[in-house]
Amino acid sequence: MDFDLQLRAAVYRHFAERAEAPALAEMCRVMRTPPAEVKAAYARLYARRMLVVMDDGESIRMAPPFSGIPTQHVVRANGKEYFANCAWDSFGIPAALHADAEVVSRCEQTQEPLRLRLGTTGPPPSTWLFHVVVPASRWWKNIVYT
Amino acid sequence: MLFFRSEEQVDAWCAANAVPKRPLVTLEQLWQLSLAWYSTRLTPDARRPGPDEMRQIFARIGLDGPFWDPQADTF
Repeated sequence: MDFDLQLRAAVYRHFAERAEAPALAEMCRVMRTPPAEVKAAYARLYARRMLVVMDDGESIRMAPPFSGIPTQHVVRANGKEYFANCAWDSFGIPAALHADAEVVSRCEQTQEPLRLRLGTTGPPPSTWLFHVVVPASRWWKNIVYT
Repeated sequence: MLFFRSEEQVDAWCAANAVPKRPLVTLEQLWQLSLAWYSTRLTPDARRPGPDEMRQIFARIGLDGPFWDPQADTF
């Protein structure tokens, strides 16, 4: 496996275990690599649509479905509290973890809270809906907005 | 990518934000989509689905048409 994919796996492992984005220093330690090389690999992983870093080039904003910053989409699983990037990713976290989860979010129009228990068989019957404005062909033109 | 309580609330939000209403997705469809997209994401060789895989995943759960086509120019 190439260095970039090893780094990607380390980032995801950190998110899954700690429910937060890894600091650059932590990835340097794990990969035994200087900061400049890790940052260059982050940029390549963004080009491969695997990670999104912030403008500083070292803070991970998104490792889908995990979010590196707090959002309105919270997932509680395995005794941890994760932030998801969007409604889809709030279901993506329990799917990735293969764990039962509680998803806490809201109706974007009314702000009414949404609280769902997801088992490994998915959500209970519900009349709530998911809606995305951006067409699939444009998702990565601005993935943070999407 | 957002949740809504009902189709009425989607309509109200789209009107208030001057954005087009898109195909609606049920939570069961969203779960199937999430499994297809993310269930192997923590494996070492995980990757995002390619365009053909994306079309197959969307079609399998009833999401088809140009809006869901990752290479469509119009929708």
